[in-house]
Amino acid sequence: MIVTALKPLDEILELISPYSHILIAGCDGCTQPPRGIREARTLSQLLELGGKRRGKDFKFKVTTVVKQCDSVLTASALKPQIEGVEAVLSLACGIGPQMAAELFPDIPVLPAQNTHFMGEEKREEGILLENCSACGDCILALTGGICPVTRCAKGLLNGACGGARNGKCEMNPERDCTWELIFERLERLGKLDNIKEFRPPRNYQAKAWRLTP
Amino acid sequence: MTEAITGGGVAVKINEEYCSRCSICRSLCPFEAITKDAEAGKVVLDIEKCQVCGICYSACPARAIDTIYYDLDSLINYLKKAKSKYGSQALIIMCKGSAPDFAEVEGLFGVSNFIPLSVPCVGRISDEMFLKAIEMGISEIYVLACDEDYCRFERGSPLAGRRILALNRLLEQLGYGKEAITLKRNSLKVKVDKDLCISCGNCVFYCPYHAPRLESEEGISVDLDACKGCGLCIVMCPAFALELENWERERISALIPGLLAEMKPPKLLVFRCQWAFFPPLDGKLSPNIRVIDLPCAARVDTIHILGALQKGADGVLVVACSEDDCKQEKAGGKAQRLVAKLNERLSQIGFQDRLHFCSIAPRDPEQWDKELRQFRQKIEAISEGKRK
Repeated sequence: MIVTALKPLDEILELISPYSHILIAGCDGCTQPPRGIREARTLSQLLELGGKRRGKDFKFKVTTVVKQCDSVLTASALKPQIEGVEAVLSLACGIGPQMAAELFPDIPVLPAQNTHFMGEEKREEGILLENCSACGDCILALTGGICPVTRCAKGLLNGACGGARNGKCEMNPERDCTWELIFERLERLGKLDNIKEFRPPRNYQAKAWRLTP
Repeated sequence: MTEAITGGGVAVKINEEYCSRCSICRSLCPFEAITKDAEAGKVVLDIEKCQVCGICYSACPARAIDTIYYDLDSLINYLKKAKSKYGSQALIIMCKGSAPDFAEVEGLFGVSNFIPLSVPCVGRISDEMFLKAIEMGISEIYVLACDEDYCRFERGSPLAGRRILALNRLLEQLGYGKEAITLKRNSLKVKVDKDLCISCGNCVFYCPYHAPRLESEEGISVDLDACKGCGLCIVMCPAFALELENWERERISALIPGLLAEMKPPKLLVFRCQWAFFPPLDGKLSPNIRVIDLPCAARVDTIHILGALQKGADGVLVVACSEDDCKQEKAGGKAQRLVAKLNERLSQIGFQDRLHFCSIAPRDPEQWDKELRQFRQKIEAISEGKRK
């Protein structure tokens, strides 16, 4: 899922301060923690309280979109709500405000979230891990399902670098050396030969991939 | 003290002078708070383990146990007043844990006008209390208990069942008909609106009882036999797709404006785990304090806390039961985290110190008074500061 964090409320209050009638649009999609109708309503309550403190009387409408990254779903959810709205406050990842801005070019669309990364959620431990950086050229088949592009501090394709001490990364002794993890995993899978395979420099063109009509 | 909700004193005690050392209390106590001192031959209560269910009080044949909550005298006093207030001869005794609102209770028993008596556990109502009620001219007695495996005090509901069975036999012999006391069981559980579910899996993760399942494309399904009605999933659901019977979001929201309207500043609204402290039977509270009951502190909802502040509450207090007493797999801790997170956000908009969380056990009424007093002083200081 996409890992986001709510912006500090004073920053949001500053963003919305020029407007009075604001539509808060949640997103039921992949943001974590989920930013659906509950979060939209809670945010409206907090901003209303905070607004009063600052002598502002905001009027909020709240709604949610199945996924704000989908132009059709976003249009059908937001269009019926948009009349009389001076600004849209989006609870989605960075895609959501851009989508809404495109759909409503005359209305300012403001982000309520800071978007961090695509994450893996370990619920029991309550942690979110950035394990994929969407490089567009996946080599996980060769590395035992562990991504060195994202998880190795140096992003090495042909590790290990030799700097690790006791299995820990020389850049951050709190972190495991990703290439040691890969080695252990491949050994377990009986595929240590993979490590010998030379991986040429990545194809950075892949990052420029576009959905063509 | 004006804000005192309880009268103070010792919640439960065994009066050695009257104790016949029969050990019935020890055998019934669900929490092993009563032990037998083999040498002295007497029974001893460890108040730190006591959860004040009142089962021992109701069962002691020697009336050697005293409690400050809902004892026989205060129950009888309540009945006397309520009988004329409601103008009815039908009494419905409800366990707080399982009773829906009065309109639904009415439907459940088919009684249109009745004297309501909500108690933390129907297991604390003694034989004597039933007989006194009949003596007072109460002609119909109905008891709404939790399902046995749902009983928050483990043995309260089964005991009430056995007690009523025995009493009914006795009353039949005395000529009061076959079923003088009617017993029904009810448990309040989660309801799912599949149309609203976004299949995020939050409820699956948070439910302490593994009741919700997310296995198909059709969204969530809940094993109602496993649900214990704590309400944690409801506040964790980002889509408002879940509700807890009798504790619906709108129902709780609707209570807030009325309560705030009848209060005097500083207005302190308390969200109470029903088993954290027991308010007085007559419901008389200080004009600064109103209490909204929750099935468990885990049901406390940011929507309601913020709603109360929006509508003019000066302070909101969330009261969970003490962790050792939690009837819901340490769900109070979840409420504490929710309050801490919300407090972080409130302080960003200038509402710091308006929301407070505490854990209280009914065995310690003084601690509750202390928490309340301190919170009130804090809120008064904030209001003073604003006026200056």
